[in-house]
Amino acid sequence: MKKNMALYVGCGLLLFIVFCAIFAPWLSPHDPYVQDLTNRTVPPIWYEAGTWAHPLGTDQLGRDYLSRLLFGARISLLIGLSVALISGLIGTTMGMLAGYFGGRIDMFVSFMVTTRLSMPVILVALATVALVGGSLWVVIMVLGLLKWDRFAVVMRSATQQVRAMEYVSAAQSAGASTLRIMLTEVLPNVLPHLIVIATLEAASAILLEAALSFLGLGVQPPLPSWGLMISEAKAYMFFSFWLIAIPGSALALLIFSINLAGDGLHQFFTPGERA
Amino acid sequence: MLAYITKRLGLAVLVALTVSILAFMLLYLSGDPALAIAGEGARQADIDMVRKTYGFDQPIIVQFGNWLLKIVQGDLGQSIYFKTDVGKLIFTKLETTLLLAIYALAFALVISVPLGVLAAIYKNSWIDRLCLAVAVVGQAMPNFFFALILIMLFSITWRMLPVSGSDTWQHFVMPAITLGYYAAPAFMRLIRAGMIEVLSADYIRTARAKGLPTRSVIFKHALRNAIVPVVALAAVQLGFLLGGSVVIETIFALDGLGYLAYQSITHKDFPVTQVIVLLLSVIYILLTLASDIANAWLDPRIRVA
Amino acid sequence: MKNSSTAFKAPLAKFSLRSGLLACALAATVAFALPAHAGKKNDTLGFAYDQTPENIDPYFNNVRIGVIIAANVWDTLVYRDPNTNEYKGQLAKSWKQVDDRTLEFDLREGIKFHNGEEFDADSVVYTLNYVSNPANKATTQANVRWIEKAEKLDKYKVRIIMKEPFPAAIDYLATTVAIHPAKYYQEVGPTGMNLKPVGSGPYKVIEHIPGKSLTLERNKDYFKDSPKAQPTIGKVRIRFIPDRQTQMAEVMSGGEDFIMHVPKDQAEKLKSLPQLQVESGNTMRIVFLQMNTREGTPAPQLNDIRVRRAIAHAIDRESILKNIVGGGQIINSICTPSQVGCTSEGVTTYKYDPALAKKLLAEAGFPNGFEVDIMAYRERQQTEAMINYLNAVGIKAKLSFMQYAAMRDLARANKTSLTHQTWGSNLVNDLSASTPVYFGGGSDDVSRNPEVIKLLNEGDNSVELKKRQELYQKALAIIADQAYAVPLWSLPVYYVANKDVKFKPYHDELVRFWEMSWK
Repeated sequence: MKKNMALYVGCGLLLFIVFCAIFAPWLSPHDPYVQDLTNRTVPPIWYEAGTWAHPLGTDQLGRDYLSRLLFGARISLLIGLSVALISGLIGTTMGMLAGYFGGRIDMFVSFMVTTRLSMPVILVALATVALVGGSLWVVIMVLGLLKWDRFAVVMRSATQQVRAMEYVSAAQSAGASTLRIMLTEVLPNVLPHLIVIATLEAASAILLEAALSFLGLGVQPPLPSWGLMISEAKAYMFFSFWLIAIPGSALALLIFSINLAGDGLHQFFTPGERA
Repeated sequence: MLAYITKRLGLAVLVALTVSILAFMLLYLSGDPALAIAGEGARQADIDMVRKTYGFDQPIIVQFGNWLLKIVQGDLGQSIYFKTDVGKLIFTKLETTLLLAIYALAFALVISVPLGVLAAIYKNSWIDRLCLAVAVVGQAMPNFFFALILIMLFSITWRMLPVSGSDTWQHFVMPAITLGYYAAPAFMRLIRAGMIEVLSADYIRTARAKGLPTRSVIFKHALRNAIVPVVALAAVQLGFLLGGSVVIETIFALDGLGYLAYQSITHKDFPVTQVIVLLLSVIYILLTLASDIANAWLDPRIRVA
Repeated sequence: MKNSSTAFKAPLAKFSLRSGLLACALAATVAFALPAHAGKKNDTLGFAYDQTPENIDPYFNNVRIGVIIAANVWDTLVYRDPNTNEYKGQLAKSWKQVDDRTLEFDLREGIKFHNGEEFDADSVVYTLNYVSNPANKATTQANVRWIEKAEKLDKYKVRIIMKEPFPAAIDYLATTVAIHPAKYYQEVGPTGMNLKPVGSGPYKVIEHIPGKSLTLERNKDYFKDSPKAQPTIGKVRIRFIPDRQTQMAEVMSGGEDFIMHVPKDQAEKLKSLPQLQVESGNTMRIVFLQMNTREGTPAPQLNDIRVRRAIAHAIDRESILKNIVGGGQIINSICTPSQVGCTSEGVTTYKYDPALAKKLLAEAGFPNGFEVDIMAYRERQQTEAMINYLNAVGIKAKLSFMQYAAMRDLARANKTSLTHQTWGSNLVNDLSASTPVYFGGGSDDVSRNPEVIKLLNEGDNSVELKKRQELYQKALAIIADQAYAVPLWSLPVYYVANKDVKFKPYHDELVRFWEMSWK
């Protein structure tokens, strides 16, 4: 089999980031929340004024940037994973039901999807967060409850394809219950599509959180979410560019690795065909 | 064909109705709307009077009915914060957002069409992967980050473009790029797939066999046919672009619908928020309807689906 | 299945993408108006501000830019000289105090509003009676609720009668009480005044695109006797640019000539650019951390005085001032130091002492601290710095950052716990414009101490200066002792301008376009 570079590189990068996130408390030289107002915006070591005490410098409140970056990985990954999980659960259930049963259920699900698609996501998310108050969990819930549409659409067509397969009719004639069939025959076969969509939605959720934080309605300080770090560093970008470049690059790397891994998984599950 | 159109129209109306219900419910998420309007430490008597005047004491169904009826007749309500007619407010800002969305769409197409064509011609080679990488790289950054970098380069360092405002077409270049690049990969993939499909079709092989020059084959026949699904997607993407312009409008001080939505949300000016959400949804529904009908006209088999 | 494409696409193939795009481009260019460029060359001062006023009418907005526009487009009866603090006649020639509650004004003759309407007693009477009527819902009631009525004695003679003796009245009349043209205002009301503002000031409004820009033009017929100098700069184009960095980018690239409220860090860096100049000025704006101790407060922990004192001890004000705020000074009373009646004498001060804070919290029954909401609408860095200090003593403050109006409304609805407040007193140099707003029993008072309310009211209504100062001092002492709010610091403001602009920063945060000129 031809080497699946996308899969290896993507998953490799992703695993590296996950590793950093998990071991953040041990890898961080400082507490990411402790501020030191006399040591604000110290540049990273590759600048003249940099110091090894803060390899990636400090932010506008004197907090160690490397530590914040590592702990921030946790938050960004948490957001991506949770939103993908919640929206995946909702969308997959709807898609599978629609694809398996067809008829009225299918019409209903399609109607829901169309309705959801016609609502501007970021505005609805903004409005909800503005009313309920911004916090990590509010953001996750709001995004999770809004972003299930692609899951529903893809799972629906994947289920339709699988349903026509022989092993499903075989299970049906063997008298297996619908639930059993869905879980043991259909689900394993639509799983590849599910995973690919999940990676895309995770990446999109992370970027949406960054946008919400920029507008002041996402995760609240002092949480070191990368999106929030970027939006806070925006004020310094003309003169201390590294303050925004570091979390910006980290975020870009994360998104890129997720997309690459998703691409590689797609290739892995459907050999010979490109995305 | 008529039956198909009627069916799709009926569905569109139903979706629009559902969205209007959801948009209306935004009102109640904010707690007591009478309090929001009366505001500023109003006494109970004032709040009660507001409740009566606006009809908040009536059952929700009735309120919704009244609201919808007024909208259909053209009365979009009063903005609590700006204290002017919502319709007038939105109308003045709509033009900017519409222009922005169209420019963004144009930009997305301008980069995705050549990339898609190249990727299709040299499919599965390194050129193919590079084209995809170029299209995708813009998606990995938060758009406000990208926007500010563009400002740093094009306005401050090279002084080529104005930073903010919406007076000339130059003011729209950076906003269009920032908003449009997110849509580019989808178009690129679509064009690539369409081109690959068409390029391998029999009549293309025939043309090649006849000795027609490759370039004319590609641009005259293949591209024209591969473009069709793109037009359908473009209609849909336009809908998304209109709804996703908040961040861009804030950074570039484009006083459009997105920024108005943000202001109305942060000032709890729900009459405006409701109408904007409804308006954007209706535009999206109309665009998808148009694209569905266009598709059906081109491919009769869809009509019986 | 795969060969479906060919036969059906013919009709659309006739659609020419090129001509379509061309048509769009053409339409788009026609849609644009000619831009008004800022800069010395065009004699147009480009001024950018982040917040848009909900209404340009001075009585119907609550934002700084509204106050700035008001000073440039409208006049007041009296004018307070920013250099000497003395009151000079502006629309009024002279005035006298008839009795405790009445002021009489002799008005200047021959002044015309921007729309040609004549200025006379009717203008004063109609404006004051309209805005002081609570039914008309002027936004900052404190500016107008002292007015009982205005009476016309003669074409150029008016009397203004106060509800109670109110010595600060003359200061309000010198700053916030702008005079509108009676006939026009009667016709169009605040809504019309917002769309087409008409005043008598050194600049007139030639274009207002709500939410986008406001263009002012020099009033060539501005009356020569005004204490405000004759304007020099031809046009002022105020643009509303919400993003700070975009404002900075504009001033760096020459798109705008003047911005303010630049954060200290950025201002210091911008100084190094050759095309810019940076000035800082003090302001009347004070910053304090309010604590909601009303009945039904979402944070009942704040009802315990030990908790409030702990919060006061937890914050290192000196450090925040030095490192984040910049200029400005620490305040120990909730009032602007320059205001008449403001003092820090005999007032409890709380030193930075996190250990003491933890001790007090433990005594109050919170050895592990507690969670609390904190709301803010500006100076977010300062809020975050304070949150970190609170965190260090165990108080986990959850931040909600929002627009001022939203926060104000939440506070008035008893839904806030800690609020990071700032207050500029609308430039009024009298304590009655600051402390009573937040402690005088009005809708913004989240402490509601009856004794403080009584003292403040008495002080507002006494005429004798010494008595007022005594009463105010007592009130301030109680507020400090009870630690109802943590007095923090006064804010500096940094102005960044193009080198071509000649301007002088004042301590009241007011941008006087009529004094500015090109170098």
